[in-house]
Amino acid sequence: MYEVLMFDGGVHKVDELLDLIEDVGGFILQRTQIQVMITLTIAIPGEDRPLIEKKAAELGGKIIEVPLAGTEIAVIGPTLGRHHMPHPICDIAEHLRRYGAITIVMGLARGRGRKTCQISAAEKAIIEEYDAAIFMLGNFTECVTHEKIDLYKDIQIPVVTVIGPELESLPHCEALVCGVGRKVERMRRSEEIAKLEEIADRVKEVIDKRRVEIDEDPLFVHPSEIKDALEDMEAVQVCLRPAPIVLHVDGLRVKIPYKKHVKELEELEVYGHKLKDIAIISDCRLGDSTMIKIKTKAEVEGKVR
Amino acid sequence: MGNVPSCPMTLSTSGPSARRCWYQACWGESMVEFELEGTEQYALESYQWLLQRILMDMGISTMVERVRLVIRPDQTLFIISMRIKQSGSKRPLYDIADTESQEGGTFITIKDESYAPRLLSNLWHKYGRERVQQLTRLEIFVEGAPVEEITDIRLDPEEEVRSQLLDAMWRLLPEGLKVRNEYFNDDVMTIVATEHGMTVDFIAEAQNVHRNMIKGPEED
Repeated sequence: MYEVLMFDGGVHKVDELLDLIEDVGGFILQRTQIQVMITLTIAIPGEDRPLIEKKAAELGGKIIEVPLAGTEIAVIGPTLGRHHMPHPICDIAEHLRRYGAITIVMGLARGRGRKTCQISAAEKAIIEEYDAAIFMLGNFTECVTHEKIDLYKDIQIPVVTVIGPELESLPHCEALVCGVGRKVERMRRSEEIAKLEEIADRVKEVIDKRRVEIDEDPLFVHPSEIKDALEDMEAVQVCLRPAPIVLHVDGLRVKIPYKKHVKELEELEVYGHKLKDIAIISDCRLGDSTMIKIKTKAEVEGKVR
Repeated sequence: MGNVPSCPMTLSTSGPSARRCWYQACWGESMVEFELEGTEQYALESYQWLLQRILMDMGISTMVERVRLVIRPDQTLFIISMRIKQSGSKRPLYDIADTESQEGGTFITIKDESYAPRLLSNLWHKYGRERVQQLTRLEIFVEGAPVEEITDIRLDPEEEVRSQLLDAMWRLLPEGLKVRNEYFNDDVMTIVATEHGMTVDFIAEAQNVHRNMIKGPEED
């Protein structure tokens, strides 16, 4: 079982760590270098963790737990207006990044209001491309419990709802965090940071539950193994977009155009199988990217037989 | 109640679900009297907190004397009424500019640029555009005006305050409540907002809030 960790340290002799990760069969998921400091998000076999920790300590760096690494999470507000952005939606997105998640912020076209709030099929489809969604729904109990819950009712991915008023529960969502309503300033007080932690905890629980479900019928390969193969593609190497490959719990998002590269992707070889045999490759709803959903072992082996 | 500061609430006897709160918030030197009425305590307190932060952000918290919020999400009704503090301190011209008597008129050098547009429009209004020459960004020459008369001019900052307060109210109002009516006089501004149709009852209630705000707390 792969474990996703983050190395935070200097660039001096970091090659030794990179070699060790490769030797134990691990992968670099993300590499961010700022001058002489480097942050590596890595996936390594769980049993080799002590080796990596020892090497990190030797290099003067540290290994940090990143429970949300390898996930892409959407934080959704009713609109992109100044009533909802940047606080608290961007604060939540920023906080989740500290736990290794890749987050995006999204505003609905017509999500504001009570009777008039709505979500389109296109918006739902975009949201469903992510591993989990966080919906930020505001300060009015009446509005949240009667109207806003319809915004995420049909969404097929886990939803964490964040609202202002204290409520016991809400229908259609996997988790609920109360006490975070509209904000006009950054969430930086201790009680606000505690709320951000609570949101991160709920998201971790939701993602863990999803991972456990996936483990019941495991994926044919881990997404990071496909990432490793994709990195050899020229189109990925020349892609200038930040994080050209984003890992999901059950697949990947590759930021290269689907129509142009679908054939090449289908023929990509992973452990002796063509990618089209072990994954579903589809166009991404958000411009010029490709979605790869990895099939389960049962699906692939059933087909092979 | 999350991160919203606690507010001393007293239940109103006027209705089964109506709540009322008299709360004085102190921020530094400023003192704003809040009157909250509505059906959801969290909404009331959080909107009070939001307004305080918006006013602080804009640096105009000292200019507000009294605020009344009526929030009834079940009826989709939001009324905000704000009473501006009487500044009573129109700034004299010598405070913001140097004046010098010259042949044929008065030469003005502006020291506080933020008052330049208001001074210019005041001079235009008083002497006509043809007699007021803006030589540079901060220099004005007024033809045929004695220096004593110019020095006596006092500038009223309230117009700018009103526009800033209106901006604060627009920032506060929930985005979805697009149907709005506004009432204002020199000291009080009231906005009533709802989502669909503005009803006669909403308008009457807003006008009542506006009238009571003009009268002040004693007669309310």
